[in-house]
This record gives sequence, C-alpha cells and structure tokens, in this order.
Amino acid sequence: MALDRLAGENSMLFIRSEQLFDLARRHSFFYLSYGIACCAIEGLMSAGGPRFDYDRFGIFHRGSPRQADVLMIAGTVNRKMAPVVRRLYDQMAEPKWVIAMGACACTGGPFREYPNVVLGVDKIVPVDIWVPGCPPRPESMQYAFMQLQKKIASRTQERLDARAASR
Amino acid sequence: MPAQRVADILAAAGVPSAPSDELLGAVVRLEASRVADALAALLAEGFDFFLDLFGTDTGEAIELTYHVRALAALDDVFLKVVVPYDGEAPSVWRSYPAVLHAEREAAELLGVSFPGHPNPKRLLTTEGCDPFLRKSVAVRSAEEVRLPRE
Amino acid sequence: MTGVQSILPEGTQPTPMLPKGLKRVPSGVDQLATEHLILNVGPQHPSTHGVLHMLVELDGEEVIAAEADIGFLHRGIEKLAESRRYHQMGTILDRADYVSGFHTETAFALATEKLAEIEVPRKASWIRSLVMELNRCASHYVWLGPVGMDAGAMAPFLYLMREREMILDVLEAISGSRMMFNYVRPGGVVRDLPAGIDAPLRAWLAIADKYLGETEDLLGGNEIFRARMKGVGVIAPETALAFGMSGACLRSSGIDFDLRKARPYCAYGEIDFDVPLGTVGDAFDRYKVRVEEIHQSVRIVRQLLDGMPEGEHTSKVAKALRPPAGEVYAAVESPRGELGIHLISDGGPTPYRLRLRSPAYYNLGVADELLAGGLIADMIVSLGSLDIVLGEIDR
Repeated sequence: MALDRLAGENSMLFIRSEQLFDLARRHSFFYLSYGIACCAIEGLMSAGGPRFDYDRFGIFHRGSPRQADVLMIAGTVNRKMAPVVRRLYDQMAEPKWVIAMGACACTGGPFREYPNVVLGVDKIVPVDIWVPGCPPRPESMQYAFMQLQKKIASRTQERLDARAASR
Repeated sequence: MPAQRVADILAAAGVPSAPSDELLGAVVRLEASRVADALAALLAEGFDFFLDLFGTDTGEAIELTYHVRALAALDDVFLKVVVPYDGEAPSVWRSYPAVLHAEREAAELLGVSFPGHPNPKRLLTTEGCDPFLRKSVAVRSAEEVRLPRE
Repeated sequence: MTGVQSILPEGTQPTPMLPKGLKRVPSGVDQLATEHLILNVGPQHPSTHGVLHMLVELDGEEVIAAEADIGFLHRGIEKLAESRRYHQMGTILDRADYVSGFHTETAFALATEKLAEIEVPRKASWIRSLVMELNRCASHYVWLGPVGMDAGAMAPFLYLMREREMILDVLEAISGSRMMFNYVRPGGVVRDLPAGIDAPLRAWLAIADKYLGETEDLLGGNEIFRARMKGVGVIAPETALAFGMSGACLRSSGIDFDLRKARPYCAYGEIDFDVPLGTVGDAFDRYKVRVEEIHQSVRIVRQLLDGMPEGEHTSKVAKALRPPAGEVYAAVESPRGELGIHLISDGGPTPYRLRLRSPAYYNLGVADELLAGGLIADMIVSLGSLDIVLGEIDR
C-alpha cells in the first residue's frame, strides 16, 4: 500500500508539475496587509493574532503587493479608494486571488446608500471568494482561505482533465 | 456662562450678536462676515479649546456652528452663522488652527467657501463629488442598491 | 534641479567649445545640490494604522512639511444618520470608531436622552460604564501592539492580542458581537448582563495588571523602544490646545482634562480613579499615559463589578422615538479623546442632522506641526503615537 502511494496514479512520484506548484501555492498564501476598515481588525489583526493564528495554514502577511498573492479587501471601498484597490491588484504578480471580506466589500454593506460608496468590489477587481458578515469573524476568514485552497485544487484538476480529454 | 455674557464680550470687540440660552447651552448668532473677529475676541477671553465646526443645511441656507470651550472654567459656547448656498465665511484658522480640516470638510460637503484658508483643497471626497450633506443630494434608493437577480 | 549640473541655460544650443558628442561638461555630481523630495506614504502602508495617506516633503531625511490626506474611508455616516431612526443608529455609529464602538453608541444615547428627556436607570448607567472601560482597554491594546511593531517590537502585539481576545469574549457574551455591539440604546442597554459574566471578567481582572506589566517590561523596559520613542514627536501644551487635541494626546502634554472627571456621565461620578498625565509630551509620554489608563480602567472595572446595582437595565422608550425639535451636544471620553454627538432634531423620527465630533480627526490635525522638522524615520512612530482610527476620522 505504501508503495502504491509512492508509485500509483496521482502519487507522490508521478505528481504533475502543475499539481506540485498548486500544492505549494495552496499552502503558502501571502496576503497583502491592506486593511481598509473595521474588517481589518478582525480579518487581519485578530485572525493573525495568537488565538486564530493564520500561520498554521501557511498564511502570512506581506507589506508589498509585489510579494503578495492574495488581496483581502477588508472594508468599504469608496470613490477615492477605488483606484488604489485597482492599482494594488495590478501590481500583484500572477497567480493572484481576491477575497472580498465583509458586507461592504461584497455589496456596499450598511453604507451602500451613500453615493460615494462603491457597490461591491467586483466592480473594480475580479473576486474569487466572498465572505459575508459585518464584520466576518476570524473563523470565517479561515474558512474562506480553506475554500480558496479547494478552488485552486479544483481548477488545476479541471485543467488537467481538459487537457487529457483533448489529447 | 450665560449667552448674554458672551454677547457682551463680543460687543466689547465691536461684533453685534443675538444671544440665547437653549438646551444646547449658550448660543450666539451673528453675521457670517464677523465670525473671525468674534472668535478672536473669545480666544482672548480664555476660550482656548476649539471643539468643532460643522454645517447644517437648513433648507434655505447653510448654518455653520462653531463650538469653543474655556477648558479651565468648562464653559461651552456655540456660535452660529448663516451663509447662503455657495456663500462664504472668513476662515478662522488664525485664531484656532484646529479648524483647518473642518473648514475644508464643510466646504466640500456643503458647498461653501472659507476665504483665507491656507490650503483650500478637497479633504474627504474626490473631484466631481456633489456636496453630499446638502438636503438636495439624495442618498441611493432601495432600488439602486438592490443586487441584480441572476 | 538634478545632481548633474548642466552648463546650458534652457533653450540654448550646445556650445561649439564642447568636444563632439558631449552635451555637457562632465563635471561630476554636485554632492551639495539637493532637492526636496515629495514622498507618498499610504494609503496602503503597513504602518499608517489604516488608510491614511501622508504627503511628506523631505530634505534628505528631514521632513519639511507634511499633509494628511484623508477620506479613503469616507462613507457618509453623518449623511446616512439623517435617514436612520434613533434605534437603528447603533448600526452605523459602531462602524465609525470601530475599535471602541461602545463610546460612540453611548455618546449618541446620551444626546438622545437629553433631547427626549428620557430617564436612565442607575443600573444601565453602570453597565454602560463597565462596557466602555472594557472597550477602552481593548482599544488601547490594539494601539499598544501595533505601535510596538512600528518601533520594531513584534512580540508585545501577540501578547496583547491574547488579552484582547479575553475582553472580546466578555463583550461578546454581553452584547452578542465581538466588535459591532449595537448594545447601548437610548433609554438604557438592550439586555441585562448575562448570568455568569462574573467568572470570565474576573479571570481577566486577575491577570490584566500582571500581564500588562510584562508588556511594559517588553516595551517600556526595552532600550530600543525607549530610544525610538523618547523625545520624538513632542507636542507642546499650547500646540495641543491650538489643534483641539483631546484624550491621551492632550493629557500627555500635561493638560489635565478628562471628561470623565470634568463632566461625569454614566457612573463615573461615583467611581474612584486617577487621570494619568505626561510631562514632556513626546511619544513615550503618550505610551506611558495610555498604559496607565489601562491600569486605571482595570481599577474602574473592578469597582463597577463590585458595586453593580440591582434594577432595570432600561427604561420604557417608544419604539418609534420622536424627540421634540431641538439641538443638543453630548460627549464621552473615548480612548482617543472627546467624542461628541451634536444632534439636531426637527421632531421627526430621524435626526435632522447628526454631527460626530471625532477626536482622532482633530488629533490628526497636528500632523504638519508634529512631523515638520523631524526625521522621516520618526514619522511612523510620531503618527502611530497619536492613536488614529480612520473610520472615525473620515466618517
């Protein structure tokens, strides 16, 4: 059985390079420390703190968008902020993912009626994971990262399957 | 401090005003053009702490409220002036530098101007935004903020 | 002007004196010629404590002028308040000062009660004081940790977040939420203190002073931290007054003004506590004042818990509150300073105008005066020591 795991289909030895890269990507998310509003306290500070501890998942913060691969949009985005969000996203290296954290980033939240507020960050950048809540608890953010891991894994599998079918 | 005392201080500085004691405290109403002189006189009388400046759209004009306090005696005074839409009131930053941000904010959110301000730029919003705090600028309606159905 | 010197006045043709192919005399770099550099810090910067954009003009390492560009979180709390009923207001006011929501809620409740002449039961006042002091500690923890990180100390942040979680557990048990409480309403508080809140609260009280002492050893006892903070960002008392600063920033400059003492609200008139003062007004003084404020808050919480009165937690207030037309101002001492709510009612179910007198907004006004003349390396510490919360500044 142990030999199977080593040499069989989808085994350690015969893992495809894409699967290997995605395995690494899935387990070392570097998020940009870019807290906009209240969600930053929960999603960046508390979740990075000792109780919830992002580090366990290999999730760590980076100060520069050049080194980050996850953009957590944690807060309300308004007209003045929108170009900044877009610019930070553009500065990040591929592959990159976006998590819209909280009601404000998803839809405008409690402030959606104010004409200065952008109704959801999907108007500015493509979003991979939506996290409801105002603010979401740190556990929600951990769940979001787990969902992102699944999403990346399934995307890789889809790609490999499509290639196998076309061959 | 009763509002009449404040009015007396202002009268000594040559600024006519209408005092009234309200639930808010000592309120003094005066001409917008004299507000800088009035605040300079209050500063000289020991009102050393500037709390706030904000504007209210009354439906006919913009009412600016200046809130100052004498810290030691714990006296609060509210100065109220009325300026027309797109009107102006002199900047009072030479008496109270604390007003610098608040004047810029009132200018952009209510559409008034403060001649004499050293840095009269927008503070909170970007170019092209309406003066949001005017009553004529409506917030988005429920239909506008509803998500499109898939 | 760049460091490379051009011998040509603008618009003139190259002189024939120069060797062919050269545009200028290769005189080297003039090391003395300098130009001012405009540096943008933020709005995405790990050390601006939110979405603050600082424009600084530098001469070498020295700051010549600084300007705070705010508004990246302007989301119209004052405008939206005009379309919210009095009982709904907590939802948006909590999100103004998001690290100490209870203070904004209480300021609004006090203003509404003054306007509508609502009696508040004694117990409600005591509960308000209790949650506000807990919130003050949580807020100061959130300040203390990152300011340590600004000065290069990572460990205290982790310790302080651990203690903050203990407070948040208590606040969650009381109000149902970790940050957005919506608990203090006009007339009292939403519900009574839950049974069994004593145990987790006393567990925190038992360790609070001791653990904070450890953090003080890590920060205030650390030579590097002291060197980074002492003599940096000095605010003279007259400067603090001129810019309308309040709270710990004002008190660290030596001016004894605390609303809890000056105009006691809620239960503060019956509670014994000291107001710590600074002497120099530098960043280290602000650190010391805030640490001492946590110790005093622990003392206040202990007294409040021991003397918690019996009785109702709220008085009867109409669901659709319509205060009479009028204008009031009520303020509380938030962790950042005097947080005032100026409420104008026209007798309708929603306020006609709500103005949030934000303490951090005025504290930030000192930025130019504070940073100019200092070094760029001290900018982050000086700004961080002001304890700014952008949600409340931009509103």
